[in-house]
Amino acid sequence: MRRPSMAIRVNPKLIDELELYGAEDVQNCYHCGNCSAVCPFSKEPYIFPRRPMRYLQMGLEDKLKGSLEPWLCYYCGQCSEECPRGAEPGETMMSLRRWLTSKYDFSGISRLFYKSGKIELLAVIGGALLTALAFVLWAVLRGGNIHSYSGENAFLPAASIHIFDWALAGVLLALLLTNCVRMWWFTMGRDKRLKVPFWLYLKGLYLLPLHFLTQKRYAKCEHKRPWAIHLALMLSYLIMLVLIMFFLGVMWSGPEIDWRVHVFGYLATVGLLGTTIFALRGRLKKSEPHYAHSHETDWIFLVLLIFVAFTGILQHILHRVGFDAAANVTYIVHLMGVVPMLGLEVPFSKWSHLAYRPLAMYFSAVRAEAMEREEKKALEPAMAAQSAA
Amino acid sequence: MRTGVFIVQASEEGQEGINLHAVELYAANLPLVEKVRNLGMRPRLDPVTLAEEIKADRLERVVIAGDSPGFFKPVFTRAMALAGGDTDEVRLASFREHGATGMGTPRAESIVACAVYGVPFPLAARPGTTATVPGTLIIGGGVAGIQAALEIADAGKPVYLVERQPTIGGHMAMFDKTFPTLDCAACILTPKMVAVGQHEMIDLMTYSEVEDISGSPGHYRVRVRKRARHVDIEACVACNTCTEVCPRSTSSEFDSGIANRKAIYIPFPQAVPNAYVLDEASCLYFESGGEKCGVCAKKCPKECIDLSEKDQTVEFEVGNIVIATGYDVYDATKIERYGYGKLPNVITALEFERMTNASGPTGGKIVTKVLRHNKRKKIDEWVLDPEGPPPGRVAIIHCVGSRDAQHNPYCSRVCCMYSLKFAHLVREKLPDATCYEFYIDMRAFGKGYEEFAERIAAEGTFVVRGRTARIVEENGQMVLKGEDIINDRMVDTPVDLVILAVGLVPARGSDKLAAMLGIARDEDGWFSELDYNSDPTDTERGGVFVAGACQAPKDIPDTVAQASAVAAGVLKSVNTGRGLDSRADLSLSEIEARARSLARV
Repeated sequence: MRRPSMAIRVNPKLIDELELYGAEDVQNCYHCGNCSAVCPFSKEPYIFPRRPMRYLQMGLEDKLKGSLEPWLCYYCGQCSEECPRGAEPGETMMSLRRWLTSKYDFSGISRLFYKSGKIELLAVIGGALLTALAFVLWAVLRGGNIHSYSGENAFLPAASIHIFDWALAGVLLALLLTNCVRMWWFTMGRDKRLKVPFWLYLKGLYLLPLHFLTQKRYAKCEHKRPWAIHLALMLSYLIMLVLIMFFLGVMWSGPEIDWRVHVFGYLATVGLLGTTIFALRGRLKKSEPHYAHSHETDWIFLVLLIFVAFTGILQHILHRVGFDAAANVTYIVHLMGVVPMLGLEVPFSKWSHLAYRPLAMYFSAVRAEAMEREEKKALEPAMAAQSAA
Repeated sequence: MRTGVFIVQASEEGQEGINLHAVELYAANLPLVEKVRNLGMRPRLDPVTLAEEIKADRLERVVIAGDSPGFFKPVFTRAMALAGGDTDEVRLASFREHGATGMGTPRAESIVACAVYGVPFPLAARPGTTATVPGTLIIGGGVAGIQAALEIADAGKPVYLVERQPTIGGHMAMFDKTFPTLDCAACILTPKMVAVGQHEMIDLMTYSEVEDISGSPGHYRVRVRKRARHVDIEACVACNTCTEVCPRSTSSEFDSGIANRKAIYIPFPQAVPNAYVLDEASCLYFESGGEKCGVCAKKCPKECIDLSEKDQTVEFEVGNIVIATGYDVYDATKIERYGYGKLPNVITALEFERMTNASGPTGGKIVTKVLRHNKRKKIDEWVLDPEGPPPGRVAIIHCVGSRDAQHNPYCSRVCCMYSLKFAHLVREKLPDATCYEFYIDMRAFGKGYEEFAERIAAEGTFVVRGRTARIVEENGQMVLKGEDIINDRMVDTPVDLVILAVGLVPARGSDKLAAMLGIARDEDGWFSELDYNSDPTDTERGGVFVAGACQAPKDIPDTVAQASAVAAGVLKSVNTGRGLDSRADLSLSEIEARARSLARV
């Protein structure tokens, strides 16, 4: 069976473009295949990092846009360590993830952020100021008392914040889902040669929560520490999210501490602070391969995270020890970090990978099975002929 | 002529010892120079922007300073064409090509000056001549040294040939076949070795090392240390009695360690001089301070073993010196992922050469090692038994230690071809064996080489593109892990024998020799020639020549050709009585003044 030939348009500037996302040494690659061979995840039909490196060198933008491979890499850095040409395949995969994030995003904001750290920083600062302005205005207009933290005439009443949280979550979810649909279209839907029956999608659906919660694929890397750190960070964040979305009222009340809820909060805070400090130290010292190269967006993400975790626990402590006014001010500062962090990072920047990674695991499994089915089907007539003979 | 100087750096090593800021200032002060710009390390250059710059400054000549040949010139040529200028006026001031690496800032400046004046550097920096005495010292008795010695001696001029090993022959004497003709290496080399041994114009000093060289071009004073051989070369008839009675054995250098030799031995039966040698390091007599053993001296029927012999030094004067020190192979234990030294059946190319050689320890049989119990040491060890099992699957891995930023960045030039030769030898001797070649790029560049590569593939060897990443042992079976790049799939290849095509590195002691002679070596340690294109055999030092692999990795045909070319250079100076002086002694102002007068500025 001959497939209709398809001319592929190349983008010779693609390598230069990727440089803005962090990939600097792609042209050094001479395709020895060492990286693919040492990678614990490089299995057919997803062979990487060499194949994406080739696509990059040749400027095959569409092929890259439809690749799931970058999301299957966890940057253990073994490929970069052993690369005979110093082509940094690990960092290339990281850059491709940034580039893909910007491609999935329909608004173009992501692209803007990745191309210029300054713009992202400005957006963060702008978002922070707006947030502060909005909350202070709202609190003052409704006659909130700065000396009161909880109760009826609190400066920022928990119930209202709760509504705001749900609204923000709804908007972010909508944005992220749109990007996820685009990801599906680029990697699965658009491919006319790929025929995926609906039940295959259903069958693999369990993979989504599984990979989201355990990140068990990451654990397959030779070094387990990065996985452990990442899992701790993710779980801490998840616990915090659940607490804020469902138990905000409990955390707010006082003065006695409801340990059934608060123990989780403290645990999550320790987790968040510990892991972000570890990551920041690592990036400063370049202690591990995946910390060796830091994009501006990596720094902004970590700094925001540690800022938010720190102000969060600080306002809690201030309230518990009775400095309600200080706690209210700190809370505003905390929100100045939280709102831009979530609003910018989740749909447009580094944090979006919380959706893309599990999706990629899911899609790649579905895709591989669909391809296998197709192959079998293509072989069937030949097999039948053989058995008939 | 309005000239712009653009300083670029192609590699970190290429600029070592050069003060680029000083070069920048120097260039800016030259007449003609309108602008100097340092573009930094490996810049991403855009011809359109460069063309605008050339146009804006109305540059008529562009000098690219520091570039290695072929790195940035195309971009500048394109920019010059876009700017409507004369593309012939894009000139390269290559630091590396003209020896600034190792010679420092003044040399770099003089290279830039020559390019600015539009004068070829070798022309402006042509050294003068000096009176030369007729003798020639050749350091190294491999095929390069042998060829040069014979050419010069056959012309009737005296030659001193100094070899570190007890015999001449070098690496070529170890080989079984040559590529691509599959001629017997020994059949080509041994007649030449015998000719050297018998030549009346050649003073052959084996088991000797050059200790010191002083003097100036045309009159070098050489001191050679002749290590005590303890065997009289003239009297020894190579009857083998001493070896038979010797109680001590150690691994054989000539068999690259896959077999043993005695403490008193002859490296191989065709050795020149054809005499035995006593290795003090492994000898019981010397180990015990002369108290034990000494049995060889007692049993020698010709009484030609003198255990009390001491090292001697000899001194003589020569006009020319030929460096032909060749190479060593890369130490495969440094590449842990291939398990050399741990996995018994991972061997290096030289070990395979000895194994497949009919005069080698296995008599030319290709076998895998077997586990045997050593009763004396009470351990199980892997031994090479000529009757051992032949391998069913053989893999040859290319580029071991070569073209790798973590090992040697350069291509060792000979490995692709000898690996293909190995595949042929394996398939010839073991027709049922499956043979794989794992390569990155197949470099079959010489006469008949590409045809040879095609022939080997047609013979049924699996030629797989993709560097093997690891060799692992799974249930006692060696498995090669790699990617098959052409077919775009991952491959796990189970094999019984792995041959590592190790690359070439400068011979041990090259650094000492370079310091002694005051000549430069390139960033990889190979001796630097005077000019890459026009003087590939001379060096910065007058009357000092380089032949063979000591200058850069080379195969046998190229080595022999270069050695003959060296002989021509030597004979020219010996016949006229005048040889070239050192270019290293020329000062910056001399070169600059000469360039200026040649350019008539």
